[in-house]
Amino acid sequence: MALIECRQLTRTYRRGNEEITPLRDLDLDIESGGFVALMGPSGSGKTTLLNLLAGIDRPTAGTLSVAGKPVHNLPRRALANWRSAHVGYIFQLYNLIPVLTAYENVELPLLLQSLSRSERHDRVATALEAVGIEDRHEHYPRQLSGGQEQRVAIARAIVTEPTILLADEPTGDLDRQSATSVMELLAQLNSEQGRTIVMVTHDPRTTEWADTVLHLEKGRLVEQAVGSERP
Amino acid sequence: MRLLRVIPTVLRQILRSPIRSGLTIVGIAVAMFLFVVVEAMREGVHTATQVQAGDTTLVVYRENRFCPFSSRLPQFYGDRIEQLDGVTDVVPMQIHVSNCRASLDVVTFRGVPRDDFNTAVTGETQIIGGTVDHWQSRGDAAIVGEALAARRGLRVGDRFSAAGLTVYVAGILNTDHPQDRNIAWVHLPFLQEAARRGGTGALVTQFNVLVDDPKQLEAIASDIDALFTHDEHPTATRPERAFVGRAARDIVDLVDFAGVLAWGALAAVFALIANAIVLAVRDRVRDHAVLQTLGFTGPLIGWMVMLEGVIIGLVGGLLGAAAALTTVRVGNFSLTMEGLNMEIAGGWTAPLLGVAAALTLGFLAGVVPAIRLARRDIAASFRAV
Repeated sequence: MALIECRQLTRTYRRGNEEITPLRDLDLDIESGGFVALMGPSGSGKTTLLNLLAGIDRPTAGTLSVAGKPVHNLPRRALANWRSAHVGYIFQLYNLIPVLTAYENVELPLLLQSLSRSERHDRVATALEAVGIEDRHEHYPRQLSGGQEQRVAIARAIVTEPTILLADEPTGDLDRQSATSVMELLAQLNSEQGRTIVMVTHDPRTTEWADTVLHLEKGRLVEQAVGSERP
Repeated sequence: MRLLRVIPTVLRQILRSPIRSGLTIVGIAVAMFLFVVVEAMREGVHTATQVQAGDTTLVVYRENRFCPFSSRLPQFYGDRIEQLDGVTDVVPMQIHVSNCRASLDVVTFRGVPRDDFNTAVTGETQIIGGTVDHWQSRGDAAIVGEALAARRGLRVGDRFSAAGLTVYVAGILNTDHPQDRNIAWVHLPFLQEAARRGGTGALVTQFNVLVDDPKQLEAIASDIDALFTHDEHPTATRPERAFVGRAARDIVDLVDFAGVLAWGALAAVFALIANAIVLAVRDRVRDHAVLQTLGFTGPLIGWMVMLEGVIIGLVGGLLGAAAALTTVRVGNFSLTMEGLNMEIAGGWTAPLLGVAAALTLGFLAGVVPAIRLARRDIAASFRAV
């Protein structure tokens, strides 16, 4: 059984009198430990799919299961709890809380779990070390470079040891060197820790770290390249 | 437990936005200072003017006179009053003030017979410096109320002058009776002579009459007034607190009006906190969406916002209340009019009321933004950024 199973997944919303369907009848399976890159032109439904996988948004129709648990119909509170336990989300613009230090930003998701202060400390230290930024733990986001901010954001995403790691254009705001460094880090998390990663990207170069590349157009899956099939 | 674990994060948000938090807290503290001082004034006036069930003191004044300079009663009236049923003691009293107008710093001299000092002062009293014997032994001696002594920096053995009189401080009086805390008690003949009211044994300003049964207060007051109704100097007799309330009616009205200011101060506190919270919420739309993405529930984020309002309100309220309490206690202010004192209460009631009000307003100011946040959709929050 796949870790993530989407069946006839559809998302429709209204903008004024216009009905928009960014995702339509999507069937998709993602295996545990996979590294999937979602590509496609703007408006193709990539981010919508990512948000549905993250439990940030709800499908209008269809089903979504993660690790065998249906999440498409979870009540709001239960969905939030599910997110805190199973989803690590990496934003394009890092989205660190500006008044909190790197350490405090990474600690945030752990405040939702029943952990002692020392347990939280150990986990944060481990996550910061994993992304190679432990020496900047007292720095505020404004004191970090873009690449460093994204590493802190990745540490925040992995600190709860989530089931899936979702990344929305994680290198979109970085220079090439920082982007390569971040992609290597994600690949390392995937290969060494077995983390399942789903990444939205516009940059074909970043797909070389993924084992599967999915192309979306107008809300439909138009191409799927796995391993050696990839261009 | 989640509710407790996020408290440090809320504190960091407050402390690390020092300008916004600081300005809001200072604004709240200023408004709360005003509120507490006004409430302390109201409390003092209320204590001085509201007749209590156990009151046993009547004040006999010249009818239709409210100023000590115009109330003149023959001292022998005291002998006639003393013969009435239910009257236990009558103290003739001469009153002389440094300033007849409403003021925060008036010295009021009360002249009483040498042997009547203990009768003249009512309530729980204690001489905390000097002795009554010492006072009785000197014609120019004064026993000074604690608040007056503190305000003027007086100690036993000092001499001080006011209203054309120079007296020797023979004792300091501590009492729970607000009327007596701002008084300088002197000998009646000394004051009559010094005030040039015709010499010893002629005229006094008022009589303080003690009765044995509080329930008979009004009846005995009527009996006293009936006794002198056809006399050359008709009297008006009232329970002491009612007398103060009537004589100082202008101050009472003014202080009651000042209550509007207190409500205005509370409105200002509410507006300040609400404004700070609304701005904070608007600034943090993205942050809150991120927190939701991390798994923070809407109610939990709402709780954090509400907590921020409560903490800001509490800190501002505490600062304002502490400043007001310090000012009132150090200043030992009393409102004096026509020789009657209404002490600005330095008790805990007004500050505690102020802090509770600030806390409640902080909570209320945070409720609506908190509820709106709790219901907000994550995707909508990100779209709004």
